Amino acid sequence: MGLLTILKKMKHKEREMRLLMLGLDNAGKTTILKKFNGEDVSTISPTLGFNIKTLEHRGFKLNIWDVGGQKSLRSYWRNYFESTDGLVWVVDSADRLRLDDCKQELSALLLEERLAGATLLVFANKQDLPGALSKEAIREAMGLDDIKTHHWCIIGCSAVTGENLLSGVDWLLDDIAARVFTAD
Amino acid sequence: MDIKELSLLGCGENMVEMVEVDEENFALSNSSAADAAFDAVIGRIEDIIMEGEFQQLQRSFMDKHYMEFDDSDENKLSYTPIFNDYVDLLERHLERQLTERIPGFNMAAFTHLLMQHKEEVPADIFDMLLSFTDFMAFKEMFLDYRAEKEGKGLDLSHGLVVTSLSCTGYKHIGSTGTS
Repeated sequence: MGLLTILKKMKHKEREMRLLMLGLDNAGKTTILKKFNGEDVSTISPTLGFNIKTLEHRGFKLNIWDVGGQKSLRSYWRNYFESTDGLVWVVDSADRLRLDDCKQELSALLLEERLAGATLLVFANKQDLPGALSKEAIREAMGLDDIKTHHWCIIGCSAVTGENLLSGVDWLLDDIAARVFTAD
Repeated sequence: MDIKELSLLGCGENMVEMVEVDEENFALSNSSAADAAFDAVIGRIEDIIMEGEFQQLQRSFMDKHYMEFDDSDENKLSYTPIFNDYVDLLERHLERQLTERIPGFNMAAFTHLLMQHKEEVPADIFDMLLSFTDFMAFKEMFLDYRAEKEGKGLDLSHGLVVTSLSCTGYKHIGSTGTS
């Protein structure tokens, strides 16, 4: 590891967190990111690259990375794993047909060595849609209870209304802070 | 290069030797000498990043890649490998220069010291070094560079070469500088 990389890791410890937001295409990742940032969420097109936003929350600096979820883009996700403190997995709760696909992709991520230390937050998004599955149904369909390798939590939310987005981030922040900042 | 680096591993104590220590003060222990050696390396790092050669390195890197960067909120996936190459380029330059300038310099030993002496690194140097690893700063730098390049207007004189049909044997092609 080179000098600059080491400096970056040193700096990283100071009340700064890196969150990586992934999920299938059309799950609502970019909408969540923009909603957090107080931006207009009425016209969001599919992400072909990635977005980064930095938020200040409860005295922490959160660097949130949102990478496009289309099938052809998923092989690039690996380029964003490094130094991730928290993985935010976004699920379209109304997309019943792709729940299995969604489960497979998440399982593969949890095997990644560079994400081994990351806390997992699952956002059961689109709870505002009439056909949406509850977070309990998503939890079961995705077999979340079988996850023993990561701290995890599932929260039902709506990126469009903003409902529960903050409680999700609060849980993530508490878990990471307890793990990272008290370990020194 | 790797072999050379390997052979230098574990000679962190050499860094102490480059500092002149008075005989009578020697009892002050290695730690103050190591401190001075540490400060000396930081000074050299500052020299290196302020030099024209360093800026030239950055500019030629930007020349190669700036057309890839667009001023939009969303980032292209292609920025990421370019960013990684950039950090790598600067790191290798810093390490090579330090090795040339400081006898017995060892990066592994230095970074080890760095973690212990973090507070002693002047904030401006620390921030400057960190800015090289900040993706958003990197993107901004490229957008500024592109705007600067394009702000000057397109100079087509290098790209257009008029040749007579009757004497194509001259082949002026290749004078474009874009390859």
